[in-house]
Amino acid sequence: MSSRLQIILSGLMVGKLGTILVLFGNPVNMGVCVACFYRDIAGSVGLHQAGVVQYIRPEIIGFILGAFIISKMKGEFRVRGGSSPIIRFLLGFFLMIGALVFLGCPLRMILRLANGDLNAVTGLFGYVAGIFVGIQFIKQGFSLGRSVKQKPVGGYTMPLFAVVLLALLLLRPAFITFSTEGPGAAAAPIWMALGAGLLIGGVLQRTRLCTAGGFRDAILIKDYHFMWGLIAIFVANLAGNLIFNFEAFNLGFEGQPIAHTDHLWNFMGMTLVGLTAVLLGGCPLRQTILASEGDTDAIITVVGLVAGAAFAHNFGLASSPAGSTFNGQVAVMIGLAVTLGIAVLSTQTSVSMERGVKSNV
Amino acid sequence: MDNKICIMTFHTTYNALNFEKALKREVIEVKLIPVPRDLSSSCGSAARFYLKDKEKALALAKEYNIELDELYERETEAEKPSLLERLLKKK
Repeated sequence: MSSRLQIILSGLMVGKLGTILVLFGNPVNMGVCVACFYRDIAGSVGLHQAGVVQYIRPEIIGFILGAFIISKMKGEFRVRGGSSPIIRFLLGFFLMIGALVFLGCPLRMILRLANGDLNAVTGLFGYVAGIFVGIQFIKQGFSLGRSVKQKPVGGYTMPLFAVVLLALLLLRPAFITFSTEGPGAAAAPIWMALGAGLLIGGVLQRTRLCTAGGFRDAILIKDYHFMWGLIAIFVANLAGNLIFNFEAFNLGFEGQPIAHTDHLWNFMGMTLVGLTAVLLGGCPLRQTILASEGDTDAIITVVGLVAGAAFAHNFGLASSPAGSTFNGQVAVMIGLAVTLGIAVLSTQTSVSMERGVKSNV
Repeated sequence: MDNKICIMTFHTTYNALNFEKALKREVIEVKLIPVPRDLSSSCGSAARFYLKDKEKALALAKEYNIELDELYERETEAEKPSLLERLLKKK
């Protein structure tokens, strides 16, 4: 099978599963949302107290275990790290803030788009703008540094985290909270969500589909390999929504499920997401896959995402269908300032394209 | 020989961009692509060029102090540009 066909098929699968999970109980336009699902997990284990978004999402457990098992089987589980971990934590943290001001990760943005939510178009413009800005830094030499091989033990953090989450989900000890209303209470059956997650995790470990990489490669090196996968997600989800859930399809800005019409902050939130994702080298979904195949830098990024989600709900930064909050707007501006600062300070200008000039790498 | 290609990987995208710039300056045909899946599970950028230009390319990288990762030689011709690529090029 050609690699292009593979990426298209994996995109179709993600889009299709997005439809199916909603049909079987997940929140509308949230068949798969990596940011939302980490946020739900953060709430469930008591890191934030927003009662309507607390659930241990089996999809996340599936992504991690699926990617871990496949990478192990294929001999691609390589433990490496050491590429600016604390910077990655910060970028992951602010990525989540941006996503929760918009209300969704880039994957949910595509799924929202495929169900007629035009606020996601505003988000998409912001996302591409953020990626475009990040690319300018990459062109000037931005890098978080090379990762190096590490001792194997650290790489098992992620699969272990998934197993613990699975145990908590199944045993439901008293200290775990599950929403009884709101998006957190809307969920597909555990076995189905877990199965979908395993499938997505395994397939994406093979195909490397990434919402940030798709736009980055298209803009930076004019390569459309990953873009095909993103188009496939959109097409499969759109077709699924129109065929199986036509009544819920709603083209427009108003009255969209778990979304708001605050255009400026939909744009700015996703700008922050695009900028941080391209500097990190991958969107939240891709970071999760990398984290599961031994990339300890990606694990730190995921920890940043979870911390960001907890902060977003503890300090009133996350938007609601009523709109964005003042605190959230301030947080996005701080996030953009910090991220741009990191980008400037991590960009080497000492390498010269003049012949024979020694570089300081 | 003419259809044989080389894939060069890098530690940073910046190196890949500089490598492309250096080769293009000497009118050597080069294209940046995502690292082929069979070479790595990572998702960085690699450079693809013809095997006949290998020595020249390596010399240029040295001359411009561009840090390289690995060089792979391939028997087959690279994939043809996709429909989308061709459409975008026409614009």
